[in-house]
Amino acid sequence: MMEGVVVKLPSFPFLYPTVSPSSPNCRLGFRRFSAPLSAAVKEGSVSLGHSTRPDFPILHQKVNGSNLVYLDNAATSQKPTAVLKALQDYYETYNSNVHRGIHYLSAKATDEYELARKKVAAFINASDSTEIVFTRNATEAINLVAYSWGLSNLRPGNEIILSIAEHHSAIVPWQIVAKITGAILRFVSLDENEVPDVEELRGMISERTKLVVVHHVSNVLGSVLPIEDIVIWAHAVGAKVLVDACQSVPHMVVDVQGLDADFLVASSHKMCGPTGVGFLFGKSNLLLDMPPFLGGGEMISDVFLDHSTYAEPPSRFEAGTPAIGEAIGLGAAIDYLSGIGMQKIHDYEMELANYLYEKLCSVPNIRIYGPKPSDNIHRAALCSFNVENIHPTDLATFLDQQHGVAIRSGHHCAQPLHRHLGVNASARASLHFYNTREDVDEFIRSLDDTVSFFNSFK
Amino acid sequence: MSETLISIEPTREKQTKLVELASQSIPAATLPFSRSISFQKIPTKSPPPLQASSTQLQPMEELPPKLQEIIKLFQSVEEPKAKYEQLMFYGKNLNPLDTQFKTRENKVEGCVSQVWVRAYLDQDKNVFYQADSDSVLTKGLAALLVNGLSGRPVQEVLRISPDFAVLLGLQQSLTPSRNNGFLNMLKLMQRKALELLIEAEKGDGSSGNGQIANDNSEKPVENSTSDSKVDEDSGVGFSSSKNGEDSSSGLGSRGTRIKKKLEKELSPIELEVEDVSYQHAGHAGVRGSDGETHFNVRIVSKEFEGKSLVKRHRLIYGLLDEELQTGLHALSIVAKTPSEVEAK
Repeated sequence: MMEGVVVKLPSFPFLYPTVSPSSPNCRLGFRRFSAPLSAAVKEGSVSLGHSTRPDFPILHQKVNGSNLVYLDNAATSQKPTAVLKALQDYYETYNSNVHRGIHYLSAKATDEYELARKKVAAFINASDSTEIVFTRNATEAINLVAYSWGLSNLRPGNEIILSIAEHHSAIVPWQIVAKITGAILRFVSLDENEVPDVEELRGMISERTKLVVVHHVSNVLGSVLPIEDIVIWAHAVGAKVLVDACQSVPHMVVDVQGLDADFLVASSHKMCGPTGVGFLFGKSNLLLDMPPFLGGGEMISDVFLDHSTYAEPPSRFEAGTPAIGEAIGLGAAIDYLSGIGMQKIHDYEMELANYLYEKLCSVPNIRIYGPKPSDNIHRAALCSFNVENIHPTDLATFLDQQHGVAIRSGHHCAQPLHRHLGVNASARASLHFYNTREDVDEFIRSLDDTVSFFNSFK
Repeated sequence: MSETLISIEPTREKQTKLVELASQSIPAATLPFSRSISFQKIPTKSPPPLQASSTQLQPMEELPPKLQEIIKLFQSVEEPKAKYEQLMFYGKNLNPLDTQFKTRENKVEGCVSQVWVRAYLDQDKNVFYQADSDSVLTKGLAALLVNGLSGRPVQEVLRISPDFAVLLGLQQSLTPSRNNGFLNMLKLMQRKALELLIEAEKGDGSSGNGQIANDNSEKPVENSTSDSKVDEDSGVGFSSSKNGEDSSSGLGSRGTRIKKKLEKELSPIELEVEDVSYQHAGHAGVRGSDGETHFNVRIVSKEFEGKSLVKRHRLIYGLLDEELQTGLHALSIVAKTPSEVEAK
């Protein structure tokens, strides 16, 4: 299934949709549209979901007496055997500490670890692997930028622009750093399509703006932001852009040079890699100017009693023994994903996203958050929703217990967003390329049963 | 010390209250008893190998009577879906909680849904609860606690260990996060009860221990069909020692009487009567008696067909009433029909 090297494609431009603001919440008859289908999704051939499922052993089990239907991929993805094997291989044959060792095992571990870094760089089209810093996860990567870049660059009165739909990990570190530096946080609200108001954002950018922090794909709304445009507007005033790509890197082609992002973060565990590792992409010139985040071994050059000198990036930001095996596992995940092809994955998931949205619309009294799909608006393959008069936690519990369907209920680390939407919690089903149409069918069937059960009780 | 006491349970309750209150850092001056007492808690079966999920359960008799009823009810409902319905039924019949009480202090932490609990005392210092939630399953859990705990003395409520949730059989039906909500609900209810009691006792200056005497004195121990162990309070002199294997070697006179009675009246196809009194040898309650105080009974009989768990146990207690009056302290019962046993 080798598709060759990942193709660079433009990110989706955000244009005003043809949908009028007064449209009902869910147009049942919206025109089914789909991006041009790549070969594997054509009629008659096996879908990507079916062809990749065998690679994921965890999917083939029963929970609570029913077959597992795993629809919580936005929380974490499953790992193919190739990744599991890479981890096992590492620990069984060449586990050793990296960078300073002389002996054979250590050299091999170092090689593989640095090769993983190169793979990450190539995967997102960074110009050099030194622009990739391995962290514990995306959250740590954002904290790194906040404490390192933020503390040394932000002055009182400087502004940081975020959207109210940001993940807590993209908000809280900046709240902390803003308090210390006297910078001000400003939040962009949602427009009538329930996506962050890009025009409002554009209007907020001024000479006081030093940083714009935005998600690429929203983990609640399923919307995609026009990062290229945002970067252009930000750079025009000398501001930097930090892109939270946790929900985009695993699902579509992401090209940091094409986006011209200054910082970009993602987590391994959401992209079929192991937990415990993530990365920060930072432009070379930015990283070179940044002071250390965590201090310790590996990130130093020389250590004296009264002072130390520091290593060059990326080592400067990688204190202590890293998650070596896990980074190598991430490399294996990238190999696996590249083997399929991110464009192919994206196309398949677009199909599935529309199918999910369409089927969910058929559930009575359902309210799906985020934009309605249309010619211009593409949704990610996830839907956060509420069913009238039924608490999402009740839905999720029953779906799990009676049908083996795994979805999430809660605020999905987006409390400000939920507050804006006027709800305490929502349910969320999120797909990945190893899900199938049958998964969606089973989900909808189970959801109907669940809703009937709770409604019959009123 | 025990010789001067009239009945067994009050001592244990007082001891438990002492430990409970002590663990909640109340100044010693307000404690009704200032001498330190140690006692043994009673395991009903030999300890299983240590697993992540094994918990030691407190004896049913220590739980408020209504809560025991609720537990038995849930135990008799086998199907998970039916358990949900039962839970939701409780929730539906819960008295509404006035909006003015849906305050921050009344909100249960750690709940994925919103839950509020309100508590107040009556003039006898029994605690009453009201609750509400936006999730029907959580409301059911809240209702379960409200119904099970309301109207009881504070000390009794404080003594409750949340492990009884296992007995409900809902633990598998509910995710850990919801179970944590359950735990937090109970904790909040206990904390509020204690706070109210302290307030009240400050008010009338008494040491407020009048309620202890009559609780659950005659309730025999009931064993659920799941493995259960007794809770071990911290700070109490009890070691979770090996309790030895089953030794049915030689039943004494009472054991024989029990066996004969059950054989005669219930014609069981299987009957095991095991004297486990030795496990309770150190227990204050049996000190001064001549042994033969605690038994495990496992009985399979057609007589149980069509009878709920509660009815089966009541039947057995009824038959053994004389023994219970004359020194039999507790029975741990497993009562099944022949078809239930075959169905395994």
